[in-house]
Amino acid sequence: MTDFLSTYGFLIVTMLQAGLLGLSLYFPLQAGQLSLASPGFYSLGGYVAAILLTNPAFAGLRDTLGNAMFPLTWLVAAVLAGLLGLLVGVPALRLRGIYLALATIAFVEVLRVISLNLSITGGAIGLFGIPQPFGIVDRWQYVFIFGPLLILTLLFARQMERSRVGRALRAIREDELAADAMGVPPTRYKVLAFVTGAVLAGIVGAMSAPLLSSWNARQGTFDASIAILAFVLIGGSRHTWGPVVGGALLTAVPEVLRFLADWRLVINGLVLVVASLYLPQGIVGALEKLGRPRPPQRPTPVKPAEVRP
Amino acid sequence: MELSQFIQNLMNGLAIGSVYAIFALGYTLVFSILGIINFAHGAVFTLGAYFTYTLVVGQFENNGLLKGVNLFPDGSPFSGQPLTFALATLLGATLAGLVAVLIERLAFRPMRSRGADPLLALVSSLGVALVIVNLIQLLVGAEIYNFPSNAYGDTPPALSFTLGGKIVIIRTVQVIIFAVSLVMLAVLGYVIGRTKIGKALRAVAESPTTASLLGISVDRFILITFFLSGFLGGLAGTLVGTAFGVAGPYFGVVYGLKGLAVIVLGGLGSIPGAVLGGLVIGLAEAFVPSQYSAYKDAVAFALLFVILLVRPQGLLGRSAIQKV
Repeated sequence: MTDFLSTYGFLIVTMLQAGLLGLSLYFPLQAGQLSLASPGFYSLGGYVAAILLTNPAFAGLRDTLGNAMFPLTWLVAAVLAGLLGLLVGVPALRLRGIYLALATIAFVEVLRVISLNLSITGGAIGLFGIPQPFGIVDRWQYVFIFGPLLILTLLFARQMERSRVGRALRAIREDELAADAMGVPPTRYKVLAFVTGAVLAGIVGAMSAPLLSSWNARQGTFDASIAILAFVLIGGSRHTWGPVVGGALLTAVPEVLRFLADWRLVINGLVLVVASLYLPQGIVGALEKLGRPRPPQRPTPVKPAEVRP
Repeated sequence: MELSQFIQNLMNGLAIGSVYAIFALGYTLVFSILGIINFAHGAVFTLGAYFTYTLVVGQFENNGLLKGVNLFPDGSPFSGQPLTFALATLLGATLAGLVAVLIERLAFRPMRSRGADPLLALVSSLGVALVIVNLIQLLVGAEIYNFPSNAYGDTPPALSFTLGGKIVIIRTVQVIIFAVSLVMLAVLGYVIGRTKIGKALRAVAESPTTASLLGISVDRFILITFFLSGFLGGLAGTLVGTAFGVAGPYFGVVYGLKGLAVIVLGGLGSIPGAVLGGLVIGLAEAFVPSQYSAYKDAVAFALLFVILLVRPQGLLGRSAIQKV
């Protein structure tokens, strides 16, 4: 068991983390909004935690709070990510489809370049020596941090889907104009979904900074944007479980393929291509289809009788 | 700013901007016909540079599975003359175009025929990009390969002239890049605006269904579009490679992202827009004051973000009418 945990513990934690990031993209997608901004908020959250936990300016606060400092970093990251999400989301969510995707890619890139150049974020080197929370000695123990968050998020998503908000988001996804006409204000709900995703990504970032014990500008890149999109689409974008399953599996693929050595990353790319070709509804969607009873076969049409005059 | 510095920046901006333009045209062509962004375009750019390098030099001596393989033991027939180098560039771009055709056949067409979510095209094209980039790394390693300085004959490395008592130096390769890009743009403009193929392409872009009813083989013209797109991407890769070196399997990523900024700035799907957007971003980057040069890479994206908020259809794009 100890062997298993020391080998795969970190992988399991990153699988949970990937599922959470997938969910952060899933929230705006529920309203039909393709936002690729999650890595930006993730990176922001990580920087917030890293700064609060290593910057000498907060040394006094750290001494007073002890371990309570870590939940505080989550809270601060959540608030700041939410505010930034509001600031970016209000103008950006007037855009639709691919335009929104491109605007959020630009947002992530601008944040990345800024964080590369500020002194408080440690420039290109980044911040390191981030302390471990709650006396964690082995990285697999982060399961106890990411696991509860994942469960809470799933419960939250489930409740939200069943609520008025969830119905409003689905209405906007299916037809924004019709939803508007029925008295569902699209902008307000779209921003709400976007900010929810931003807050989640910010918290995950704040939890991940101690996990990696260092934080730099490579944490929020364009590649990560698409990787997270892949979690959601290949897992299944119409189901709460989709991003979690997709995130966990796609994170595990490179590890499973380790025996392929140098060919591993090539095959990883192929997996993405093949999965998008053969699992258009995502893994969860395909499983659901399997479980559903097949529609009855259509009766073979009877040839119309030949009519002769 | 002094005039000599101004001219220097102007030339830098025009050279890189014209490369952005032809590269971004590759995105635009595919987007105007399929309505998707081909994220593998940056990888095709990289591939074009590597193809041309293979033709001109014949071997990758540093690393990778192909280390020690020499395509031309007696010296490359493509090296040493401007004309042969141009031929190698065209061949490299053609090969890149063929790869783009292959990408369409393997990764995009099956998805279209299944009627999959168009968003999935983003994921599968990124998968293709991962495959290409990592194959390059596997085959020839991650080292930077520079074209030999005499690859395109004995041209002087720079043109210099005095202006108002100051010396202005313009690298020859920048002039070549600018000239080649202009020629390419003119050829493309002719093909799309004046030939029968171009007419058919425009018809398919307007409405694939109507075009196919009129007897245009839509699938064939999608292939032609992908070929043109890959050709432009590969050519841009070679041009950048000659100027700054073939900087490893990932060097197309930055251009791939900037190309997105270019097409949005100019207007998604607009061909003159891509050209204008490329030049604007190239010049904007060139004129970033040197003390802020660390922020140079953010210029394109800041411009992209602002333009999306102020004028989402881009500088020259048509705003699509939202139909109910």
